[in-house]
Amino acid sequence: MKKLSTVLLVLCLCLSVFAQAASEAAPAAKSAAPAAEAPAAPVVEAKPTVVEFKGDYVFKDSVSTMAANWNPHTYETSDDAYPVDSAYIRLGLYNIIFNDEIHPVEGKDPFKGYVVIPEMAAALPVDVTEEVKASHPEYNIPADAKASYAYKIDLNPKAVWENGVAINADTYVYSMEKLLDSKLLNYRATDYYAQEFAIAGAEGFANSGRTIKKTNSLDGENCDYQIADLVKGADGSYATKEGYKAYFGLTDANYGWMSGNTLTSYAKYFPEGVLAALQAMADEKGYVPVTDESLATLFKFTNSDNWGNETWEQLAFYLSYDFTYPTVDFSTVGIYKTGEYQIVLVLAKPLAGFNLLYSLTSNWIVYKDLYEACLKESNGVWTSTYNTSVETTLSFGPYKLVEFQADKFMKFVRNESWYGYTDGQHIYVDPTDGKTYPMYQTTSIECQVVAESSTRKLMFLKGELMQYGLQADDFATYRNSDYCYATPAETIYFLILNGYADAINQREGAADFDKAKVDLQCLLIPEFRKAVAVTYDKELFASTVSPARSGGYGIIGIAYVYDPETGSLYRDTPQAKQVLCDFYSVNVADYASLDDAVASITGFDPVAAKALFIEAFAKALEAGYVTDADNDGKSDQTVTITYSMSSDSDFMTRTIDYLNEKMAEVTAGTPFEGRIKFVKSAPLGNAWSTNIKNGMTDTVLGGWSGSALNPFGLTDLYVNPSYQYDAKWFDATKVILTKTINGEEITMNLRQWSDALNSKDVVINDKTYNFGDGIADIETRLEILAAIEGKVLTTYNYIPMLQNAGMSLLSQQVYWVIEEYNPVMIRGGIPYLKYNYDEAGWKSYVATNGGELKY
Amino acid sequence: MTKYIIQRLLLMIMTVIIITCICFVLIRMLPPAELPLNDIHTKVIEARREAQGYNKPYMVQFGIFLKNVFTRFDWGVSDKLYFGQDVATIFLSKLPATVFVNLYSILLSIPLGIGFGIVAALKRNTWVDYTISTLTMVVISTPSFVFAFLIQYFLSYKLGLFPFLMNAGTDYMSWGMFVSMLPVILSLSFSVIANFTRTTRAELCEVLTSEFMLLARTKGLTKAQATVRHAFRNCMVVVVPAILGEFIGIMSGSLVIEKIFAVPGVGGLYLNSITARDYPLFLMVSCFYTIVGLLAGIVIDISYGFIDPRIRMGSKK
Repeated sequence: MKKLSTVLLVLCLCLSVFAQAASEAAPAAKSAAPAAEAPAAPVVEAKPTVVEFKGDYVFKDSVSTMAANWNPHTYETSDDAYPVDSAYIRLGLYNIIFNDEIHPVEGKDPFKGYVVIPEMAAALPVDVTEEVKASHPEYNIPADAKASYAYKIDLNPKAVWENGVAINADTYVYSMEKLLDSKLLNYRATDYYAQEFAIAGAEGFANSGRTIKKTNSLDGENCDYQIADLVKGADGSYATKEGYKAYFGLTDANYGWMSGNTLTSYAKYFPEGVLAALQAMADEKGYVPVTDESLATLFKFTNSDNWGNETWEQLAFYLSYDFTYPTVDFSTVGIYKTGEYQIVLVLAKPLAGFNLLYSLTSNWIVYKDLYEACLKESNGVWTSTYNTSVETTLSFGPYKLVEFQADKFMKFVRNESWYGYTDGQHIYVDPTDGKTYPMYQTTSIECQVVAESSTRKLMFLKGELMQYGLQADDFATYRNSDYCYATPAETIYFLILNGYADAINQREGAADFDKAKVDLQCLLIPEFRKAVAVTYDKELFASTVSPARSGGYGIIGIAYVYDPETGSLYRDTPQAKQVLCDFYSVNVADYASLDDAVASITGFDPVAAKALFIEAFAKALEAGYVTDADNDGKSDQTVTITYSMSSDSDFMTRTIDYLNEKMAEVTAGTPFEGRIKFVKSAPLGNAWSTNIKNGMTDTVLGGWSGSALNPFGLTDLYVNPSYQYDAKWFDATKVILTKTINGEEITMNLRQWSDALNSKDVVINDKTYNFGDGIADIETRLEILAAIEGKVLTTYNYIPMLQNAGMSLLSQQVYWVIEEYNPVMIRGGIPYLKYNYDEAGWKSYVATNGGELKY
Repeated sequence: MTKYIIQRLLLMIMTVIIITCICFVLIRMLPPAELPLNDIHTKVIEARREAQGYNKPYMVQFGIFLKNVFTRFDWGVSDKLYFGQDVATIFLSKLPATVFVNLYSILLSIPLGIGFGIVAALKRNTWVDYTISTLTMVVISTPSFVFAFLIQYFLSYKLGLFPFLMNAGTDYMSWGMFVSMLPVILSLSFSVIANFTRTTRAELCEVLTSEFMLLARTKGLTKAQATVRHAFRNCMVVVVPAILGEFIGIMSGSLVIEKIFAVPGVGGLYLNSITARDYPLFLMVSCFYTIVGLLAGIVIDISYGFIDPRIRMGSKK
């Protein structure tokens, strides 16, 4: 009996050991499978034990401006997006979450990257381009297209509105029809046809039957029609061969290549009487029909010296024409139902991979009955109250709106109808304790309007708010706090330096300009501009004027991801590092590594600056810009650099003071000692921009921010006159750049390189080049991007100064699952926010701390 | 008196139409809000402006506006700040919060202001008068937002007596809401109290030195009797219209104070509607305040006759 017991025990032991080994092997096998399918990892094979939260967890938030309209078809501002972006009442077809053991990404540690999961969709989209091309010729998929134009999407059958009504294919199709309805004139309609994600036929349907004034040239290079192409009609006015009437737009600001200027902006160059004659012929919107009379009037201008060397045919760039969209029905739009829970999306432009999924992270669906009840027509204008109150809002996300008072308060609670609380997808493995938790621990979100930052701070210290964005006065106290989080932003702020010779000469020629004491023309000397560029220590500047920010060195910031699949940052690439070393004259060979070389850059080189100022003075004397009548070796004139100020503020004062103080230090002992001065302009409001573009002011801290996932798109901002601040004095088509790509030496102008980088076909010597996304390899694209950045930097039109960022304190009540900043996920938001205390515990904690918390 | 009131009402209607017309034309003569250059939404905004008739001649637009107001009482829908929502509904939903905080503020200020004024006048040229007068001047010279921040810091943060912000909701008569309104009421009251104190003191001082007061005393009235029955009533001729004037302010609210305490009132509505070029909202609010202001003027004029029967409105004698 004893032996039998021993044998049984041994058998049990062996079985338990095998069982243990099997259970350990399972997760490893499980985690390996989806990793191969990165970036999407929707597969969860077994249900892990998920920790359950009990208690009330209220996220207490504040905003300066309360959302007023969160209708997916009409909302306009980021304030209006709060219920979606921060309270998750809507979700897209796809969602981006952190990678972890449940949603792994190959080669990435948990919470170091991200994955795309199907959300309102049931699976990743299936490319059906070939199939749709054959069956639906009306969508005009190009004959040679094999992929990336049409996708079949299975919808999540568990998705319902908060009242339990199912969301199916009809919901998506109906909502798109309403979104694009031409009579509703929805603000968001253009999001679905005027960007990279463009649904086939959407533009035609959204503008069905509408006549618009179309601009003949958007880029200043190509025209839809030449004047010679126009045909004279019976009424004496000219039209295109299709019959679209043509006009000269006197006040049309849509000529993108004119940087917001209009034809009337150039009236000072017109011969006498021309403007008045044109205005007499213009309609109430300033459009002059093209007639023999209007042409004859404009010929007076084109025949004058002020027209320059261009031919009269160039007048075509100032043309607009009436364009009427054909009347079409919704069947021409590339979205249709193929099953109760299946739709097909057909695109006008190819889009695939991460960019496609990212475009589908927002949603357009509306609740049909409520939407129609909210529509109102008055004098032919349609408006809607959908999604402007609790009564007009139905959620299908993790939270639903339960209280709303305009300009005051909104409250969201868990939407128990949301599938995500039970589908086993919305969970994660905590990197700290290894346990599995559900996302969205927060049980309700309360958001109130708190306009004053001082009030926000007091409320935060009393435990009544979850976050507090640091103000300038707070940095000394809180920047080293354990609860302080820095979040980089996309924008780089640069000092734009005036180089518009015509404007500078015109200003100097003004009657009240004292040439004996003041000079502006030194700004035109390259050495002077270079000297200004190396006069300022960027980090010191940042810590002095705006401590949350850091020094800016390139024109592309540190938050730009060049490869969304991996989350890799442009600024971390060797190409981007090398371009900075080249620009700041850092010899990489002097350092152990490229990283060390880049780390040594401060942007500040007083020795070089002094030498450059001395050189600039010599050139200025020679050119007669400045004088030295008393032969003391110093300029008689003060170079006065006017800062284009929108409105005065402490920040402005600190900035100007810093610029002057450091300039005085650097110019000491040079001919410009005490002779360079930054001064504020009068408050210019929004006109600060046109003033700087027209060279009427000399500098400003400006910046661009683009899509964080597409640094390549930024190049257009620096080479396209529609956007350029320096369009009046920098012509990118005249800057030549030669690169060797795949062994081939290619020479193009900067504008062409930028166009080719952004998926446009550029023809050089009968050969077409296109280095767009998915066409050229990423290394090539990075090389081109860095080269363009380098070229733009060396114009010294933009002197990088600040890398934008924000700093905020996070309440002791909560913590982020992962503290490290992720350029796509930031820190995960509400889904990944965990609580140290529930509401009762938090009140008690605050009370035990005397009602005033220390951070 | 009836004839006078009818005359004033007719004049008021004419004035309202003229002011409305001027406001309508002037706001639309402002350059339209700049469209973001190269923004993909620009075309939609332009198309919507066209559909809304903003490119039609001003007087045609004004005609459409008047037709909608008089035939359908339709003031239009907000096209910017509260897209798609009826402007009259928005305004009326925000008016109660402003009215309640200002009403409470005035109810607190009248007795305190008049009381301090009486004490200062009766104790003229004593330390009491000097103290009250000095404090009055200090309070009048200090912007109300300074009091707001001080109240918020000491009473809400340090002592924890009140919430930082006014409560959400519309139960304005509840105790909880009233308590949350107290910091707002106090911030608004300081300057009103000081104004009433100064006005009352000045008027009372003048009346107290009048000859009829000497006569009243010689007739055997005590100082208190003479003050209450004769002096106080006479000084009310100036104080009561001042009180009515403050009531008009009730409707307009305070932009700064409402912002600091998150009062969901009308304080910022007017300015925001101009900044955002929300024409329908601007017109609705303009008309409302014009009518309230003109009506208040009539009420104040008529009130003189009730306070001092010697004053006869519209009398040609």
